[in-house]
Amino acid sequence: MKLTMPILALLVALLLVASQSIYTVDQTKYAIKFQLGEIIETNADAGLYFKIPLMQNVRYFERRNLTLENPDVDRVVTSEKTPLEVDFVVLWRIVDVKQYYVAVQGNEDLARGRLSQTVRSNLAEEFNKATMHEAISTGRDRIMTETRQKADQDARNIGVEVVDVRLRRLALPADVTGPVYARMESERRRVANELRSLGAAESEKIRADADRQRQVTLADAYRAAQKIKGEGDAKASAIYAQAYGQNPEFYSFYRSLEAYKATFRGRSDLMVLDPTGEFFQYFKQSGSQRGGRAPAK
Amino acid sequence: MSLNDPQWGKRGNSSGPPDLDEIWRNVNRRLSDLLGRRGGGDEGGGGSGGPPRRGLALGGAGLLVALVLLVWLASGFYIVDEGRRGVVTRFGKYTETTQPGPRWHLPFPVETVDLVDFSQVRTIEIGYRGSTQNRNAKEATMLTEDENIIDIQFALQYNLNSAEAFIFNNRKPEEIVKFVAESAIREVVGKSKMDFALYEGREQIAQQTRDLMQRSMDRYKTGVFVQKVTLQSVQPPDKVQAAFDDAVKAQQDRVRLINEGQAYANDVVPRARGMASRLMEEANGYNTEVTQRAEGDASRFKSVLTEYSKAPGVTRDRLYLDMMQSVLGNSSKVLVDQKSGGNLLYLPLDKLMQQAAPGTVPEATGVPRAAPVPEPTVTVDPTRSREALRSRER
Repeated sequence: MKLTMPILALLVALLLVASQSIYTVDQTKYAIKFQLGEIIETNADAGLYFKIPLMQNVRYFERRNLTLENPDVDRVVTSEKTPLEVDFVVLWRIVDVKQYYVAVQGNEDLARGRLSQTVRSNLAEEFNKATMHEAISTGRDRIMTETRQKADQDARNIGVEVVDVRLRRLALPADVTGPVYARMESERRRVANELRSLGAAESEKIRADADRQRQVTLADAYRAAQKIKGEGDAKASAIYAQAYGQNPEFYSFYRSLEAYKATFRGRSDLMVLDPTGEFFQYFKQSGSQRGGRAPAK
Repeated sequence: MSLNDPQWGKRGNSSGPPDLDEIWRNVNRRLSDLLGRRGGGDEGGGGSGGPPRRGLALGGAGLLVALVLLVWLASGFYIVDEGRRGVVTRFGKYTETTQPGPRWHLPFPVETVDLVDFSQVRTIEIGYRGSTQNRNAKEATMLTEDENIIDIQFALQYNLNSAEAFIFNNRKPEEIVKFVAESAIREVVGKSKMDFALYEGREQIAQQTRDLMQRSMDRYKTGVFVQKVTLQSVQPPDKVQAAFDDAVKAQQDRVRLINEGQAYANDVVPRARGMASRLMEEANGYNTEVTQRAEGDASRFKSVLTEYSKAPGVTRDRLYLDMMQSVLGNSSKVLVDQKSGGNLLYLPLDKLMQQAAPGTVPEATGVPRAAPVPEPTVTVDPTRSREALRSRER
């Protein structure tokens, strides 16, 4: 049991030394081992490493991709001098940690400042070359790629790789949106008017077609009806002719009488008569003198 | 410890023996792995050597060390919940990703485990917060290919397809997902016309944005899988909303106008057909009427003719007198003897009609003053007289 204490003390001492001489590098980090301020080793791989206590010390740097966001929007100008507001994000990572440490003393803010400057100037340059339409639509990809490449070249000097540059927002400045809204409005008005008059035209067409159908239907019906009526008339005529043809003279007499009856049938018909007509032959004198004093005419 | 081995196996039967077996194999493999590679750490050496075989003096300390060792080893157990993954690092270096279930890793400080939400679906809202009413103008506003401004609010859902990539490759993966989403949708919208984005192209824009995002996500090795991009709202900016609404209304108006035209047609055409049927029916009626009347008239005439042929003279006189009676019996009449003079032609006929006063015809000497007619001024009801006439005709 006497040995327990020394053993324990030895163990503690060993642990202390071990903790000072062992260091781990995380999967997400780079490490640089300094010996009295001088870089003697960089550890790119994660794992367990050794160092000499007191003489050597270790600093860690980020290995993962980092984002750099533009705090403000940048105002750029396209080739036709249209101003645009651009907001971008840069994805970057440290690839050469030694270089990185030498160039910016491992200060992330310094690196960001430098990257930001490079990207902004490159971006402005790319936009200057592009038309508005390219900037918004077809050239967007190219602008991002070219800016990335140029920024990357420059960033290598500080041991950094620019993984990507992405345009996040691209907008018209507030002072030029007015005319755009006005144009959009007028466009809509054009569409609306077109739709309405198209509707009116189609409606009118349908109405006109209906009217035509009505006219045609009625005309057809009239034609058919007249034909039927005509046939009736013809048949009636034939019947009459057949009947009356048996004695035309009597027909004419008989029909005349019918006509007289039909013509003078109201009390409002005032007849001024000469009492010498055949009807009145017995009116003035009886038939006994008939023949002797026939009514004169 | 070897005695415990089968016991563990038996106990594990209920929950999942393959897992526990695997764990045990794991323990062995790792220990040997560690010892083999690192040349034996302090702890490892102590563990594998048999402390109980030392001297008696060391017996107590050895027991203590063994106990401490046992506790230390036991601290390596951990449980990975369903939907999570355990990312194990040994001295900071990634070694493996473990699936859900009970697991064991070499205890601290050799190995550590990070439990990462793997299957959980994460959502990011862009252009709004919470509800689409709460708009974030800066995020929502974008430019279309035809240089119009449009507001799009969308949400995206993602989960992970690699837990280790998610935690090791990017410092702020959630932020990256967000800015890539914003960038991607603007790129897609920038290649679309406004009307396409507003109306028919919404699905396509969402799909293309997803695909574009996924490409970036893979390129940055974020370990993120973008499941879905859903456009919550696509609208023109507030300032021109009225004009757009009006255009939509115009579309409705167009439909309305067409419907009205159709309604008119549906009213007019069937009516015309009805009218046509009426014309036809009337014509048929007329046809029948005319022929029937003709038949009737003809047969009447024939009958009369038959009788007439039997006694022409008498029948003729009778017919004539019948007619005269019927005519004169029903009308006003003035009998004038024309022989008396030609200057009688002036007759105030209308007055005569009204009052058959004899004084008005002063020179009508020898004229019997409308004697046969008792009341010449009586206004005759034409229908009655016609009826009378007709009855007489029959």
